[in-house]
Order: sequence, then C-alpha cells, then structure tokens
Amino acid sequence: MELTQIAFWTFSTLAVLSAIGTIFFRNLVYTVLSLISTLIMVSGLFFTMGAELVGALQLLIYAVAIVVFYVLVISTVPEFKGKAVDPKYMLLSIPVGFLIFLELAYVSIYGVWQSNTGIFSPEVIEKIGNAKAVGTMLFTKYLFPFEVASLILLVAMIGAIIIGRKEEKQEAQG
Amino acid sequence: MEELILTSIAIGIKSVIFIIGMFLLAAYLTWIERKFAGHVQQRPGPLHVGWHGLLQPIADALKVLTKEDIVPSGVDKVLFYLASLLAFVPAIMILAVVPFGQPVNLFGFEIKPYITDLNVGLILALAFGSISIYGVIFAGWASNSKYPMIGGLRKAAVLIGYEVALGFAMVGPIMQAGTFSLKGIVEAQQGLWFIIPNILGFVVILFAILAETGRTPFDVQEAEAELVSGYNTEYSAMKFGLFPLAEWYIATFVLSAIAVILFFGGWNGPHIFGPISPFVWFFLKLAMMFMFFLWVHWTLPRYRVDQITELAWKVMLPLSLLNILVVAIWIMIFG
Repeated sequence: MELTQIAFWTFSTLAVLSAIGTIFFRNLVYTVLSLISTLIMVSGLFFTMGAELVGALQLLIYAVAIVVFYVLVISTVPEFKGKAVDPKYMLLSIPVGFLIFLELAYVSIYGVWQSNTGIFSPEVIEKIGNAKAVGTMLFTKYLFPFEVASLILLVAMIGAIIIGRKEEKQEAQG
Repeated sequence: MEELILTSIAIGIKSVIFIIGMFLLAAYLTWIERKFAGHVQQRPGPLHVGWHGLLQPIADALKVLTKEDIVPSGVDKVLFYLASLLAFVPAIMILAVVPFGQPVNLFGFEIKPYITDLNVGLILALAFGSISIYGVIFAGWASNSKYPMIGGLRKAAVLIGYEVALGFAMVGPIMQAGTFSLKGIVEAQQGLWFIIPNILGFVVILFAILAETGRTPFDVQEAEAELVSGYNTEYSAMKFGLFPLAEWYIATFVLSAIAVILFFGGWNGPHIFGPISPFVWFFLKLAMMFMFFLWVHWTLPRYRVDQITELAWKVMLPLSLLNILVVAIWIMIFG
C-alpha cells in the first residue's frame, strides 16, 4: 500500500462515519462537531488527490469561516433544548433528500467523466502549481459562472442587510 | 513500503522535536511574559524560584499538573474534555508549515528547520489557527454555565470579523511574492522587506493577531471584570492550563513568526553571525514581534464587544482592501 492509498481510505472512512454522525446525533452541538469533522476529512481527501489549494481553502472557508456561523447560532440553544427531536418533517425530508442525492450523484459522476479532458494534466499542474491552475480555469473558462455566483452572493448580502435594518428600526420606534 | 516507513519515522522524529521544543519554549514564554508584565507595572515579577525566577515555569508546570482536576457535574463531559484539546492541538499544528530558517549543512547532514514546505502553507497556517477557536467556543457551550457561554460566543463574533481582515491583509505579500509558500515569501524579500508597500496590511495584521489570540485590547472572551474568567471559568488543573498555553503563548508565538515572515524578511539579514546568522536574525525579529504584543497587552485597557466588531468591519476590512490596491499599484510601477 502506498501512503496516498492509506491516506485515502483513512480520510474517506472517517468522512463517511462523521457524515453519518452529522445526521444521527440528537445533540445539536455534536451534529456541528461531526460536520466540522466531515469537512476536515474531505479537505484531507483533496490533499491526497494533489489538489492542495482546494483542500486548504476547504479547510479555511468551510471548516472554519462558515461553520463558525453555525456554531454561533446553535450554541445559543441551551443544552436541554438541543436534544429535542421532531419526526413530523421526516415525511417531506426523505423524498427531497433523495432527489438532492440523485442530483449530486449525477453531477459527481459527470464531473469524473469530464475530468480528464482539460489541458491541466497532473504533470502540468505539478509544474505550474495549484494556484495558477485554479486561477487560470476560474478566470477563463468558468468566468461567467464565477461572476454569476458573485452576483448571487451580492444579492444575498443586500437582502441580509435590508432584513437586519428593518428590525433595528422597529426596535428604535418601540 | 520501506521508503514509506523511513519517511514516516523521519517526519515523526522531526515533529516530536518541534513539539517538545515548542512546549519548553512556551513554558519559558510564560516566564518572559511575567517578567515583562512585572516591569511594565513597576514590580520585579517572579524572583524566588531560581535566579530571577528562572525555574518558575517548571514549578508552575508541576503545580498545574498535580492539582485536583475538577469536572463540574452539569457539564457535557465529552465536549468538556475535547474542547481543551481542540484549542491546543491545531495551535501546535501550525508549526508543521512554519519555516524557522534555511536548510543548513551540519556534520554532513542537510538539516531543514521546517517540517514541510507546502505550496499552500500560508492558507493552512491561517486555517489551523482558526480551528483552534472552536476549542474556546465549545468550552463555553460544554461548561453549561452563563459566563463561559457568553465568553465563547464573544470569541466567535470576534473571530468572524478579524478572520476576513486577516485573510485580505495577507494578500499583499502573496501578490508580491507570487506564492503561498512561506519559504518562497521569505526568498522573495532578499532585496526589500515587504513592510514597505504593505504598511497598511501590517497594521491590520497586528490587530488581527491580537484579536485571534485574545490578547488584551481584545480579550472580551475572558474579561475578568465582567465574566469571572470567561470561557474557562469551569476548568481546572491542566485542562485550564492548556487554554492560555495554546492561545497566549503558542498561537501568539507562531503568528508572530508568520508576521515576521510576511513583512520583515524572515531570516534575511547580513551574515555577521557566521553559519547560524539566519536563525539569529529570525529569532531576534520574532522576539521583537512577540515583545510588541506583550507590550500592547500589558499597557492598554479592553475594548467593548461592539467596538471590536465595528473596528473589524468598518476600519480593518477597508484598510486591508486599500492595502491590496496600494500593493497592486506598487507592482505596476516597480514590477
């Protein structure tokens, strides 16, 4: 067994285990903790595949920056309330979850199918480095999706500011 | 297979040396801090154990290790134990990507004073530094008590603001060096240190490091005057000891190293100390940086929470963006 292979099996096993934990833990904070674990393991998988930049960004942006917001919200829930379980949403969430799973599976398989057609073979990436490869792709081939994504984020940000503002005004009046 | 085992053993030994070195160093950083704080406040600091209190850290370590370890009955036990490790382990993991000098030839062996030289070292250092914040937040939640909870939430709010500013402020040196590798950034500064066009970024990073490590103008997470002792109120013995060790000493030390690497040319300097001059220069600069943080810590009063977040979003973030613009213009003119 090679090192990358051992690392792959370790990371993927732990990722699947902690993903299961994310779904089945009844304590909200444990759920977040295993979500963090899942994200860290996925970033480890990126490292084993040689995508260091994506792995490091996954760690920095998802495992830290985004989940800190979740933790900030969830940890305000007191411990005894954090354990409550409500099964009435199960009926709706199972088919919707299955549909999302199908979509993700399609996208992943399609991505694997397409992955070897670009100009960035592993040898080229070794030579020019990860950051340059990602940057080149992002600002040439995927420029339009990139800009659309930033537009969506901008809309979300303005929306959040407007919602936040309204509450403040009401408080000032009352 | 054989090669794999050999590399694992080599990296393992190196990591153990780094970790033990860091532990000893952190112990003596507490002595330096107590001496420094003493003299700032016009008192001598530790004096009685050893020459000028030189054995004080060892006495302190023994005291902390042999104290009764109390776990309150209301806490979430798993998370309570996990939190102190979660604060400590990522802080020490930053050492994996921080280089302390160039490779040197000693007795025919090439000794590299760093564990790995990854191409994404800087991002990883930033990420590990931030993961250790979870220790503080979960410690606050697991304690199941009001003051630790408020402390943990404050820390999360502070982190969210300064993480963004810290990331943007690091973009300037990265743009000039053209690499994320910390070693590469030092090698790019052989002519002029990056502090020259990046002065705004440096100011932002000073604030961000103080905020990330919870040193005084930003120590709202433990604010003794309001929150008893903040997130670590319920902790005792070594579990309590790990928090300041991780945050105040290891994280501050390693982040000072990163600041020196980014802005003050790392180990670059005139070769006046013979073959060890890179180490001497690096540790001199590092000590200056660390002392600067101590100086700020023991001089200034604490900010309010709303002042901290306002400063992060309304001053630090625009400043770091302005820094990117300045550096871009600098690169356009001077190449």
